Amino acid sequence: MKYRITHTTTFIYKASAGLCYNEARMLPRGLPYQEVFSASLEIDPLPQDYYERFDYFGNRTVYFSIQQPHDKMVVTAVSEVETGVSPLIEGAETLSWEMARDRLRSDLSDEIVTASQFVLDSSMVTVSDQLLNYAQPSFPPGRPLMEAVNDLMQRIYQEFKYDPEFSTIATPLKEVLAHRSGVCQDFAHLAIGCLRSLGLAARYVSGYIETLPPPGKERLVGADASHAWFSVCLPGFGWLDFDPTNNQLPGDRHMTVAWGRDFADVTPLKGVAFGSGKHKLKVSVDVLPIG
Amino acid sequence: MSQADKPIPRSITQFYDTRLEAYDEMYAGEGQLQPHWQALMQELDHLGREGLERRHREAQRLLRENGVTFNIYDGLSGTSRPWQLDPIPLFISAEEWSVIEAGLVQRAELLNLILADIYGPQTLIKDGLLPPDLIFGHLGFQRACVGLNPPGDRPLILCSSNLARGPDGRMWVIDDRTQTPSGAGYALENRMVMTRIAPALFRDCHVKRLAGFFQPLRDRLARLAPQNREDPHIVVLTPGPYSPSYFEHAYLANYLGYTLVQGDDLSVRDGRVWLKSLEGLHQVDVILRRVDDAYCDPLELRKDSRLGVTGLLQSARLGHVAIANPIGSCVLENPGLLAFLPKISRHVLNEELKLPSVATWWCGQANERNFVLENLDKLVIKPIHRRHDYRAIFGAQLTVAEQAELRSSILHHPHLYTGQEMVSFSTAPSFVDGWVEPRHAVLRSFQVAGEDGYIAMPGGLTRISPQSGELVVSNRAGGLSKDAWVLSNEPVEYVSLWRQPGNDQVLKFRTDPLPSRDADNLFWAGRYVERAEGVARLLRAIFLLRRELRDADGEVPKPYQHSLLRSLTHMTGTYPGFVKEGAESLLQSPQPELHSLLNDVHRAGSLASTLRIFGQVAMTVRDHWPTEIWRIIDAIQQDWDEDEEGPDSGSSRTQDRLDHLIMQLVAFSGLTAESMTREAGWLLLEIGRRLERALGLISLLRATLVPEMDSVAKRQLMETVLVICDSLNSFRRRYHSYIQLPTVLEMILMDPHHPRSLAYQLDCLQKYVAELPRPQGTHRLGEDERSILKAYTALRLADAAELSKIEDGEGYRKGLDDLLSAQVDSLWRLSDTMTSNYFSHSQPSQQLSPQQDEDV
Repeated sequence: MKYRITHTTTFIYKASAGLCYNEARMLPRGLPYQEVFSASLEIDPLPQDYYERFDYFGNRTVYFSIQQPHDKMVVTAVSEVETGVSPLIEGAETLSWEMARDRLRSDLSDEIVTASQFVLDSSMVTVSDQLLNYAQPSFPPGRPLMEAVNDLMQRIYQEFKYDPEFSTIATPLKEVLAHRSGVCQDFAHLAIGCLRSLGLAARYVSGYIETLPPPGKERLVGADASHAWFSVCLPGFGWLDFDPTNNQLPGDRHMTVAWGRDFADVTPLKGVAFGSGKHKLKVSVDVLPIG
Repeated sequence: MSQADKPIPRSITQFYDTRLEAYDEMYAGEGQLQPHWQALMQELDHLGREGLERRHREAQRLLRENGVTFNIYDGLSGTSRPWQLDPIPLFISAEEWSVIEAGLVQRAELLNLILADIYGPQTLIKDGLLPPDLIFGHLGFQRACVGLNPPGDRPLILCSSNLARGPDGRMWVIDDRTQTPSGAGYALENRMVMTRIAPALFRDCHVKRLAGFFQPLRDRLARLAPQNREDPHIVVLTPGPYSPSYFEHAYLANYLGYTLVQGDDLSVRDGRVWLKSLEGLHQVDVILRRVDDAYCDPLELRKDSRLGVTGLLQSARLGHVAIANPIGSCVLENPGLLAFLPKISRHVLNEELKLPSVATWWCGQANERNFVLENLDKLVIKPIHRRHDYRAIFGAQLTVAEQAELRSSILHHPHLYTGQEMVSFSTAPSFVDGWVEPRHAVLRSFQVAGEDGYIAMPGGLTRISPQSGELVVSNRAGGLSKDAWVLSNEPVEYVSLWRQPGNDQVLKFRTDPLPSRDADNLFWAGRYVERAEGVARLLRAIFLLRRELRDADGEVPKPYQHSLLRSLTHMTGTYPGFVKEGAESLLQSPQPELHSLLNDVHRAGSLASTLRIFGQVAMTVRDHWPTEIWRIIDAIQQDWDEDEEGPDSGSSRTQDRLDHLIMQLVAFSGLTAESMTREAGWLLLEIGRRLERALGLISLLRATLVPEMDSVAKRQLMETVLVICDSLNSFRRRYHSYIQLPTVLEMILMDPHHPRSLAYQLDCLQKYVAELPRPQGTHRLGEDERSILKAYTALRLADAAELSKIEDGEGYRKGLDDLLSAQVDSLWRLSDTMTSNYFSHSQPSQQLSPQQDEDV
């Protein structure tokens, strides 16, 4: 599928900011199953400094700073991508979760050393006995990893309520677990925490998903949102994505932007402004299929 | 045994007691005096206990006068404690040092290679020499710094190791400091003091000089500069005056000739780092930082940091600024690493590790973990990263429940823990509580990257345990320090820190830019010191008057005394005081209020609080004060605090205190006039002082000479005003015995040649303000220049005789009051303009969070 994605973030400051510095991870990564035709940031006012690089996880990262007084900043990422389905490598279905765990500990190949970092705690996901207890029913001895993760995803989908009112970005996993509710970020973090408490490698993926308008309604421009899901490492076979919010394996209607250990590694836009006072924020996302 | 019970020894060393059953530095084995301690032994026996005590006192006096402190976090109040130096140095023989030195150089080289690898190709991990979890699980591993490629062949510029001698007589490494190693400045200061208190011993022992370390440090930092290589601008980045080792930051900046800055003095623009200075933005080439990794850049690292520079990492990534040590080097401060160094050394250096580390087991490995869990009560357990809540846990000291808890923590996150052997370190003779005793000692060494390898400081900072038998040695725990003397077998050459220009080279004169924050603080130092002097003079006059009052049994008219008390409230801004509600009863019995204004540090405006604030402001710019000035600043604080008296102030002791204080404040002014170069810093100090003196004088005159008084009171007030303004003698000489208001006003308002007059202050302000940096190419007067011109012109156009008149029915001198009130307006305007033009060094910053908290 081909899409044009327009992701606009508007900051309105209380007072004029003389200087601001930002880091954006809004340009989609190129992948074997995702071709990026074009991707660029439009920034208003025009930044004096603008640099692009790949971060530690290989995400396209933009640093920019605005050095003139401004009371409003609009950052728009426009990308055109073509998505496909990541092919499953033969044999991955039978890999048991214990074998996966043990390989992460013993193998020193580039792939595994890189993956092993996703077993460790990160700033927003700390393993705990509660997470382990929640995960365990899906992981009986000898069960193939793919099947077990699929089961975990299903349980999260069924047992947790999608509730945008409940969650803010800073909702600790403990509360998500206690209240059995959250949003896509929380579900991704929850699954990641469960997998890590078993010694498995899991990462956080940020991106978009095409949403279909209710039957008989027009598609509303800008009504879409950023999305997030998780990915698990099948040592020797690569990574496989799971979307617990929609209970499905992401396919060609998911567009990947960036990945990291948790949300903190892939925050789409963060920054520091001087003199601005408090700010208001408006975000709109539009995912347009283009044939 | 208490000190008094101890026998008076004929010889100190004869009674030196090595019963701690550890290896002692002076006696390698029982009864065998190490030859290189011989000179010290003779010296000690010659000095005796009294002589040693004298040296100790002398050392503490020098340290205190030089303001050497170590700040301790103490809730909000943050107190500083004088640095403690043992007058007995630690001796290290030339032969032994060559072994230690080789080990330190090798270790620094090894740490550097590991650092470069972790942030580069990570082959040590892929080759199985470093376990991934040990690095990736360490909080000091900054992913944002991977691939950042710091300049130079050795990214690790500085490192430091804590050494102690094990029971086998060999030196062991306890841990390493690689992030912002501290202590080199204290070591230097210790050395300065030791050479003062024991010059002959120092000379005779052929002690190696520390400049051998600081010279290569300066060279290395200069070579790091990505641009301006001939004359790079190097700054020392400090977390600020509340940092424990702030003294050291200021001291090193001064010694090495760098600018001392805090995070918000710097700003990143166009990918480069700039210092906000009085003259505008000034590019920074190299940063010697004392701010921890995670706090260096709120954009990419800890976003709650107020100590860093936003965008710093990007600037470093672009190669526009060099940072020593590179951000991310905290990853090496990991006790777990010790277990892997011998193997890595063999692998990458093809050498055995020369200095052994304390035996360490990293719990990330199954066998090691089991060993640690089985021997929990025999080991020291250390988390792999140092944090504010970091502490070494002595397994033996834990209760059963605590052991179980620790065991469970280790099992949950094994890779975050290490177990270390508990080692009994050697003792060294130390002068404690008037006696020479053996104390456990730890030597902190310092290494700097040189052209052909690392260079170790010959010596270092030695710390000794505060209690006998105690193994924990740290500055926070209240330990004492020692100088370490590395001996040489031949006389030591003097090494100068000055660089020698080539024969024909003419050096360009350069003044370092004055950071805006320093400009601000110097301005306020000037204002506070002058305010303190003004208030002290007024208080002194009031107390003198009250004594006269007592002696003369109430002869002094009340309105006279009341005017002075009211002027005190105005001058100190301590309303209601003697002016507003409740004034009547205070005027009847002023003693408690006067006592409070003298001594209550918690009361804004009191003399004690003004002195306290002056001290704090002066501390923030301490790298600008020559040593003598710093001593006066210190003495002002100390003497005032020490002398605090009971509530019966007003005695002759109060007079003495005030006399002494005024002398010190005048000495401060004299010293600044004599020993500060007439650069921007001095200018700001003077502007602050002149501005404050003008404002103080005006508020005194408005409270005393503006209201109508009967002739006796008026005459006494005029005389007292002249006394307060230090003008009575000049007045007498000039006008003999006639005292009249117009002549008084002539002298203290109009006379531009009298340094206490208003005209003189305005004249100075006009000159100094004109010298402040201005935008190029404009002929318009700045707002600050206009304010001062307006005030001075109005004063010069005024007529003293006219000002002295009281119009019928007005009851006060309206002309004089109007003039003075307009002067105040102009002076405040000047102050505000300076603040917005020159001092706006920091704007509050706001995180732009991705959170959608409010809809627009």
